[in-house]
Amino acid sequence: SPTGDSWGIFTFLCAALCNLPALPALNCSEELGAGQSIQQTYDLTRYLEHQLRTLAGTYLNYLGPPFNEPDFNPPRLVRAEPRVPSATVDLDLWRGLTDNARLAANYRAYSRLLCYLRVLDGQVGTAELRHRLAHFCASLQGLVLSIGGVMSSLGYPLPAGPAAPPAGPPGAPAAPNDFLKKMDDFWLLKELQTWLWRSAKDFNRLKKKVPPAVVTLRLEARGF
Amino acid sequence: MFSRWNWVACAFYLVLSICSPDASSGLVQSCGHIIPESPVLALGSNFTALCILNESCLDFGNIYASQIIWKIKNRLVPKEQYREINRTVSSVTFNDTSSLATPLTCNILADGQIEQNIYGITVTVGLAPEKPKNLSCIVHQESRFTYAMTCTWNPGRHTFLDTQFRLRYRWPEQIFPDCIPKDVNNSCTIDDSQFFVNTEIWVEATNALGKAVSDPLVVDPIDIVKPLPPQNVSVTSGLLPTVLQLVWENWISDAVMTLKFNIRYRIVGDTNWMEVPPEDTASPRTSFSIQGLRPYTEYVFSIRCMKEDGVGYWSDWSEEKTGITIEDQPSKGPPIWRIIDTSQSPACWTVHLIWKALKPYEANGVILQYELTVRDKSSLSSPVKKYNVTSTNYTLQLREGTYEVTLIARNSVGPSPPSVLLIPASNSKAPVKNLRTLPKHDKLWVGWTAPNNYVLKYVIEWCLMSSSSDCIIEWQIVLGDVQGIDLKGIKPFKCYLITVYPLYADGQGSGQSVKAYLKQDLVTVDPSKTEYTLSSLTSDTLYTVRMMASTDNGSRTGPDFTFTTQKFGKGEIEAIVVPVCLAFLLIVLLGVLFCFNKRDLIKKHIWPIVPDPSKSNIAQWSPQVPAKHNISSKDQMYPEGSFTDVSVVEIEADDKKSFSEQDLKPFDLLKKEKSTSEGHSSGIGGSSCMSSPRQSVSDSDEGETTQNTSSTVQYSTVVLNGYRDQTPVQVFSRSESTQPLLDSEERSEDHAGGADSTPQRQQYFRQNGGQDETNTDRPCFERTKQITHANEGDLVGFVQLQISGQSSQPLGLGMEKNTQEAAVSNVLQTCTEGQTVRAETVEENPLSVDEMPKSYLPQTVRQGGYMPQ
Repeated sequence: SPTGDSWGIFTFLCAALCNLPALPALNCSEELGAGQSIQQTYDLTRYLEHQLRTLAGTYLNYLGPPFNEPDFNPPRLVRAEPRVPSATVDLDLWRGLTDNARLAANYRAYSRLLCYLRVLDGQVGTAELRHRLAHFCASLQGLVLSIGGVMSSLGYPLPAGPAAPPAGPPGAPAAPNDFLKKMDDFWLLKELQTWLWRSAKDFNRLKKKVPPAVVTLRLEARGF
Repeated sequence: MFSRWNWVACAFYLVLSICSPDASSGLVQSCGHIIPESPVLALGSNFTALCILNESCLDFGNIYASQIIWKIKNRLVPKEQYREINRTVSSVTFNDTSSLATPLTCNILADGQIEQNIYGITVTVGLAPEKPKNLSCIVHQESRFTYAMTCTWNPGRHTFLDTQFRLRYRWPEQIFPDCIPKDVNNSCTIDDSQFFVNTEIWVEATNALGKAVSDPLVVDPIDIVKPLPPQNVSVTSGLLPTVLQLVWENWISDAVMTLKFNIRYRIVGDTNWMEVPPEDTASPRTSFSIQGLRPYTEYVFSIRCMKEDGVGYWSDWSEEKTGITIEDQPSKGPPIWRIIDTSQSPACWTVHLIWKALKPYEANGVILQYELTVRDKSSLSSPVKKYNVTSTNYTLQLREGTYEVTLIARNSVGPSPPSVLLIPASNSKAPVKNLRTLPKHDKLWVGWTAPNNYVLKYVIEWCLMSSSSDCIIEWQIVLGDVQGIDLKGIKPFKCYLITVYPLYADGQGSGQSVKAYLKQDLVTVDPSKTEYTLSSLTSDTLYTVRMMASTDNGSRTGPDFTFTTQKFGKGEIEAIVVPVCLAFLLIVLLGVLFCFNKRDLIKKHIWPIVPDPSKSNIAQWSPQVPAKHNISSKDQMYPEGSFTDVSVVEIEADDKKSFSEQDLKPFDLLKKEKSTSEGHSSGIGGSSCMSSPRQSVSDSDEGETTQNTSSTVQYSTVVLNGYRDQTPVQVFSRSESTQPLLDSEERSEDHAGGADSTPQRQQYFRQNGGQDETNTDRPCFERTKQITHANEGDLVGFVQLQISGQSSQPLGLGMEKNTQEAAVSNVLQTCTEGQTVRAETVEENPLSVDEMPKSYLPQTVRQGGYMPQ
């Protein structure tokens, strides 16, 4: 009967209306998650930069001269197997990489840097420095996880290799003497600084790819 | 008998069990056990326990499951709950575990009577943990780099069991160590929290009955931060008097999070905070200028912060900092008014100009001075007079006329706008109309109707009318558009005279006055009465009574009648005066009674009897004092009589140095003569008895004998200037020694019935003055006379008097004996009320010189007794 049809249509419309608010949220959830995690990763990178700025000063002082001298700029030792990943890739080359490749490179670099940093942590003498190093390590661990989260939210596969940081120090041979070991520590911090600086740029660029409106929507969806 | 054998067997078995090495379950193997062992049970659930008897016991003790009884503590479990499963197993079932308690025991009734315990278990009853609810976390900033996350939750109902809570948190691929609460079950603090990574947090509650897990909370800890409040807040005043700049430092770096702020401020002394609009401080900053403040006002500031996007918590308010705005020139002139006194002569005015100090928000600084300008409007030629005043009033002598007074208040920045007061020759303008008052609670409202012309201002004067003092005028100026004000500080039941003057641009209206009360009472009196008593009036107050006669058609008031109540009510003065007089009388009476009772004492203190030298009869006896046979020796030694003038004898028992050479010389000379009598004189006498002029002080103060008399004490000395017929002048000096004195005084008191020594002394003087009729101690005195008689005619130049208390020195007796043995020639011994005074003349006794103790030894002298002679 026509009344029955109209009731049916009305019911359908009602149901559609009721479900309407849920639909966009569901649709956007993937992208919202990515936007949020990119922003968070960017913030974390900035936070790590900030932490490293004070930490490096303290740690270099701990190493003593000449490492704590402001103009100390030693040539990089050429080793058979580089202990830490170098961020000295050409900037144009780096820009030419895809988001996926850059994220993967970040992910690998920080995973590896983290391993060395943990070794560093175990050697430090003063409790205060150890505490700050531990905090920095934990934050860096968070960054590795965050980058992984961004990659998965953007649909990229996690890079192969040392995804999870290995338990012990990597297979690289230990520095032959104390000075060279200190030199390694110096370069580790230097690399960290360069990587963090570069990552902040990366995530900022990535962030801008996400339309601002979506970010606003995300905030609403979270209930703020 | 059989059962007894059984028990013996059991005991034997037990011993075996203890001794046997294979007793696996400990030292004692019981005859059974309960299953389950030490259960933890949920409250309200049902529970079944089994008691299983050992086969061995069955054989030995002849016991079976049917004999089993269950007990909770000492309470028997009803048999209905038992079930005999087989020969060795009995069960008990509880439908509700809340009836259980510890211990639950399995017992056996041996022989149907004797209860033996087989086994017991502890039963714990409790609840499984509830799912923890309302988990929430906050990250407290503790220092520049350390943030601690504290999570709280609702632990749910009490479980009656040991329940462990643990706070767990993790990142997607990393689990952190658990946070285990200390001493509490509803919160835990993670010392190191990581930002910018979503953290999943949940709580697990575990006890013996189960485990419950809360809903997880997923949060980035940066979103729940409560930062530290800004530090090192300082306030600086700028160039403008309405602006202060607030500068502070933030604890958090922008790299961690950006901040927004709230700034609040208040005037010192005020309690209400004002707030800077939040949108003005919603961005990261370390300083802010607060505008729109009052000049020269001290403000208190404090500031707080939170994450810029508003996610998280506000910090606490920072410490309060004060700052003061700079001065500005006064915003308005002070209100000014005048009181014109024409009492001297109508043409010559004494004008009291009075003005009010500006309120702080008008003064805008410290008012340094007021500048007063008086212009005579009636004569243009007369010069303008200027005065600089620092007080808030000024008195001028002016001729009658029209004057314009201008007042300016000046602070360090500049002058105020001028206040102008026109003083016309006469208040000829229109007054206000319809002046009326209305009490409103504690304020008195005064209203009026404006005159037709435009009024600049109104001046309202009011004063408390009192019969005792002049009207002290208070006043207030209001603007011309106001037609009523509330007067504050008005006392109830007091009559106030209120006058309102309108001030026009070109003159002043005449004042309209009204009397008013803040409070008055209305009493309705029965028409048949023509008398009414007003009660509960306050004293010394002016009251007005107005009678109003009323009929049904209306009422009419009679004239006002004023009176002042008296300061003191009827009978009030009497009530005060009479008790005061009575009390005074009583005190006087008591005083008189007291004086009467203590008259002796008073007399002693006020009118001591002073011996009258003119009545002295020393002449009668003084020459008798020395022994007759001494004359020759004396004469030999002092043929010229040069001995006469010895005036001072200062006697110190142990210190011969205290004697002056002059004093000692005659003593030395006399020494040999008197040695015998020294025994007598030493230590003789009452302590407080002063010698008569006639008596000589004991003269045994020689240096040679000093060493022997360590315990000698001098009591007092009398030095005679007189010799022979000369009137002696006596000097008494009281010794500082106390011991024998005390003794003597006590005794004297005993003797004299508590009377003081003063009367004794007086008596003594009298006696020595030759007043024979004196009642006391007649024997003593008689003896004295006797001696006196015996010595009559002798001349002894030097007389020493020693007064000693009745000391109990053992030496005394011996010396007395010594004295007796010696040829005592001249001894004057006087006893007065237990005090012995011995006056001795010097006597020669060469034999005893060395043996003789020092003469000032106190000696035992009985009251009223005499030295044996």
